[in-house]
Amino acid sequence: MNRARSAARRGRLARSLRLSVELLAAHRLRTALGVSGLMVGVATVVVMVAIGADAKRRVMARVQAMGTDLLLVSAAPAPPIAGRQRQVAVHTTLRAADAAAIAAASPYASAAAAVVFGTVVAHAEGLNTTATLTGTTTDGMDIRNMRVGSGRPFDELEDRERRRVVLLGPTVARNLFGPADPVGRPVRIRGVPFDVIGVLRPRGTDVGGADLDNVVVVPLETAMRRVLNVAYVHALAVRARSGEHLDDLEADVRRILDERHPVRSGMPAPFVLQNQAVLLRTARGTARAMERLIASVAVLALVLGGAGIVSVMLASVRERVHEIGLRRAVGARRRDIQLQFVLESGILAATGGGAGVIVGLLAAGAAALLGPWDLVLSWRAAALGVACSALLGLALGVVPAARAARLEPMAALRA
Amino acid sequence: MIDAVGLTRSYRRNATVIPVLVGLSLRVARGEFVAVMGASGSGKSTLLGILGLLDRPDGGTYRLDGAEPPWGDDAALSAARNAAIGFVFQQFHLLERATALRNVALPLLYAAGDVADDAGRAERALEAVGLAHRALHYPGELSGGEQQRVAIARALVNDPALILADEPTGSLDATSGGEILDTLRRLADRGRTIVLVTHERAVAERADRVVTLHDGRLTGPPLPPGPAERPGRAAAADDAARAAGS
Repeated sequence: MNRARSAARRGRLARSLRLSVELLAAHRLRTALGVSGLMVGVATVVVMVAIGADAKRRVMARVQAMGTDLLLVSAAPAPPIAGRQRQVAVHTTLRAADAAAIAAASPYASAAAAVVFGTVVAHAEGLNTTATLTGTTTDGMDIRNMRVGSGRPFDELEDRERRRVVLLGPTVARNLFGPADPVGRPVRIRGVPFDVIGVLRPRGTDVGGADLDNVVVVPLETAMRRVLNVAYVHALAVRARSGEHLDDLEADVRRILDERHPVRSGMPAPFVLQNQAVLLRTARGTARAMERLIASVAVLALVLGGAGIVSVMLASVRERVHEIGLRRAVGARRRDIQLQFVLESGILAATGGGAGVIVGLLAAGAAALLGPWDLVLSWRAAALGVACSALLGLALGVVPAARAARLEPMAALRA
Repeated sequence: MIDAVGLTRSYRRNATVIPVLVGLSLRVARGEFVAVMGASGSGKSTLLGILGLLDRPDGGTYRLDGAEPPWGDDAALSAARNAAIGFVFQQFHLLERATALRNVALPLLYAAGDVADDAGRAERALEAVGLAHRALHYPGELSGGEQQRVAIARALVNDPALILADEPTGSLDATSGGEILDTLRRLADRGRTIVLVTHERAVAERADRVVTLHDGRLTGPPLPPGPAERPGRAAAADDAARAAGS
């Protein structure tokens, strides 16, 4: 008996819903107005989420490529003295031995290597190209995430013996040898003859957009004694045991270098520390700021869309006072009226949200076709958008529906 | 069917209390067709609202079919309206954006019991007022008289014992109005209890009995006439027999 009655009630609720949908559909303009705010809002969110997710992915990928557990100590730029142009633009105090000292003294360091840089011209087979020369140890290559694609890396013996062996970045290899395999071929770097023993794997660009593949890499000792003719090094690359300990490592490195290279108090240290964790934090911060921006746009859109729904529902209640009175007269309880308007509000909002998802996906698709973005579509986000809209509509329908249910039937019929 | 004694109802407008009904008594027998005459503003609609369980009297007692309505219980009161009472209004109160059939079926959305035959019941109600061929038309496509007949079909769809009509011809021309009155007369002859409210004597005279509402009280024959004098009694008996048989 009870089951039959609840089945009947469900059947009638379904019919009641169908009538509501028909009435909403018949009031095209009013329904369209109510839906449009939420539609635009949800569409905006869908586009922003799609593009934002792609941007975040790109930034994180670049930072990861550089190594996220890396501490870089660079020789500080030397101050000009009495306006004289100096031959050497950086402090010349860092030594290869500093790297070994750091690796030995700090429990947070897993490896450390000295690095020298120079801008060089490389010649081969009648062609030349300008590239960045990096001189470092086998550990240094490892720390800097340099991997050999074809050929072989140099070893420690070659470094100690200052052998003239070179690894080419993909860009340099292409510039000098085209599609041919450069391994085993001779190259002159600043006029010094070298043998190509390998080609590096591509690394893309750094955060600033510089080509990380336009490099030539030679052993540290070779670079210092045979090419650049320097006794100091430009930088120390230090890898932390884990990314979490980068800040502890930075403190250790600062202390060790201060002991090894004391300066008069008040004078700036002759080196600068660049902590990859800072870059990572910056990147994460940017991503988080973007997420917050998207979230606030989403909230704003939902608030505006919600306001549209509420105002349309309130107008609908005002306009349908006679209908409400009539429904009460033919047997609708206050509860029935309440339910009817709450559901109508939910239907309205779900329609707006659904339309917004569709418009948003189309817009994001168009943006991906026209712009430099990859489209990151999330069906779960789309479904969530529709569900949130519907829930929002149900919640926002409560007040207009309560107003409708409160109407005295006699007054409503006579209004 | 209706047994109201000493009904009072007043409205408050700002600080002033306006008495509308002051000790009104009315009895209507089952199957009787009673017209309540009165000038506009005399409280006819207020009376109809109370009889139809849409409004609660301030004082007095009202028994519908022998029982006092469950005034405090919105659900029970709504169920009683749904099952026992059909309303016909001067302004029709049809949903403009819904077909005649949907309008007629509206009370069924709130009915208890089986849903299976809802569509059939709405069609039969339309048939009873001679508008089966207009089922899928919208109110705007119908004449005033047809719209009011759709409203009557809506009042009949749940097969209520009591029909309450508030100036049902007030928005219609004489011909359409006459048709509506014919329809109501026919329903009364088949045993429905009808209370019709109007300010037109010609309309009121179609009823079995006319009472006049004046200064918040009724004048005129307060009690139903004896059964023998009532026209249409045989038809009512027929109808009852058919209802019992079905």
